[in-house]
Amino acid sequence: MTTTQMLSLNNVELYYDHVYALKGVSIDLNEGETVALIGANGAGKSSILRAITGLSPITSGEIHYQGARLDGTSAAEIVKNGIAMVPEGRRVFPYMSVKDNLLMGAFTRTDKTQITKTLNDVFERFPRLQERARQQAGTLSGGEQQMMVIGRALMAKPRLLLLDEPSLGIAPKLVQDIARAIVAINRDENVSVLLVEQNSRMALSISHRAYAMSTGSVALSGVSRDLMNDDRIKAAYLGGDLE
Amino acid sequence: MEQILANGLYLGAQYALIALGLTLIFSLMNVLNFAHGQMYVFGGFVTYTVVAQLGLPFVVGLFVSAMTLAVMGAFIEKFLFRPVIKKSTREESTMLLAAGIAFFLDAVILLIFGEKQRGVPKIIDGVLNWDFRIIMPYDRILIGCLAVAMIIAFILFMQYSKTGRAMRALAQDRVAAQLMGVEVDRYSMIGFALGAMLAGLVGGLLVTITGVNLGMGGPTSIKAFLMIMIGGAGVISGAIAGGFILGMMESIGLTALSSYGDITYLVIFATLMVFLAIRPQGLMGKPWG
Repeated sequence: MTTTQMLSLNNVELYYDHVYALKGVSIDLNEGETVALIGANGAGKSSILRAITGLSPITSGEIHYQGARLDGTSAAEIVKNGIAMVPEGRRVFPYMSVKDNLLMGAFTRTDKTQITKTLNDVFERFPRLQERARQQAGTLSGGEQQMMVIGRALMAKPRLLLLDEPSLGIAPKLVQDIARAIVAINRDENVSVLLVEQNSRMALSISHRAYAMSTGSVALSGVSRDLMNDDRIKAAYLGGDLE
Repeated sequence: MEQILANGLYLGAQYALIALGLTLIFSLMNVLNFAHGQMYVFGGFVTYTVVAQLGLPFVVGLFVSAMTLAVMGAFIEKFLFRPVIKKSTREESTMLLAAGIAFFLDAVILLIFGEKQRGVPKIIDGVLNWDFRIIMPYDRILIGCLAVAMIIAFILFMQYSKTGRAMRALAQDRVAAQLMGVEVDRYSMIGFALGAMLAGLVGGLLVTITGVNLGMGGPTSIKAFLMIMIGGAGVISGAIAGGFILGMMESIGLTALSSYGDITYLVIFATLMVFLAIRPQGLMGKPWG
């Protein structure tokens, strides 16, 4: 694994809905890495993703991506630069076909033959989507929708994939499938992954490093395997729900 | 019977086109465009100017109407609705703005085109008489067919073009569309221009049959709102269904109720009130499909 830095947040503060959602957060992510952000609801994990994608403009601090300043650029520009996001709650286009949903993922790309190639790659990765290509996305099951929005993000040919709570509301068996898919994407396509998860166990098991968030700032960080055995993490994030 | 059906289809096609423009703007921007009827009247006057005054072919008139209204729509979105939507947190603001634009356009039409009823010479002569079951002038048939062709073209555009797909995405999930890289401002402007263009096209089509006058704007807006209420706001299929249903109801009403006086719209409104009490979301009540 190379250690080229891909993304870094430097003392980022984000104020919205009349509260500080992020209070001086600094995190970084290297090329090829999968980094997890874990923590309870409202800890600021999703706010970090909103800040990176430009959906919520940051109040202070700096975000750098591949050596250039990222904050302040438009959401569309950020997608063009190779950052694709799988939003919380999936956010499928419910009355569009699965295929049209996927094609929306390639919205900023122009080369038709390359888009078709990526579409076939996505279908190969998630054969279920090909079976349902003409079906309206709103009629898919939660797990299928999650695969579809991951596929939709891949259609942008991203260098960095942001995933916001991909296991939320998904049947446990499918959570494993999704976890496997994330590992495979990170490994095969040289896509770096920033994973936000409340399911800390899953997040730590598939990431290289992790940041544990608490009320808008980073409480702990380190190599995921170590964090898994860290007593503080066990108490605060993994809970007592050992299977 | 066949005559009523034919009249209803002819009217319905025009109405559906008007409703499509209105519903497109509504679904993209959550704006109820009260000025839609005025845009239609404006389109009619533009075609009248090009065809009757400048003596150019009808097709040119239609084209100029479409372009004029598209540009007008783009400007109205960019300089009026966009800043208001950005600054205001209340939905009434855009409604008031739309109502203001309606009055403004009425005044502009009065200033430029005057208060007289205007029409253009018949674009084709002759009447189709099918065994006295359907009697319909050829120009009405042509205009009806043109309207249907435009509806089909619009649907194909929304369904298969990249721009159409982006607009559907924006209507269905604004945030997700932004995350795909769709520029909200740009596509709101395109959508508004397209909606206004449709209004202008219908104005250009109908000026050949019924002519156009200043007073038609307000009632046309109301009819357009009726249609999208019947069909369900923000849905393509709903706008089309609403258009044809209203056209058909008018056609039936004018024939069946004529002996009771001019009560067609009274009956339509009463029916609609009952219908909306039972099904407030309209026939196809759901966001864009």
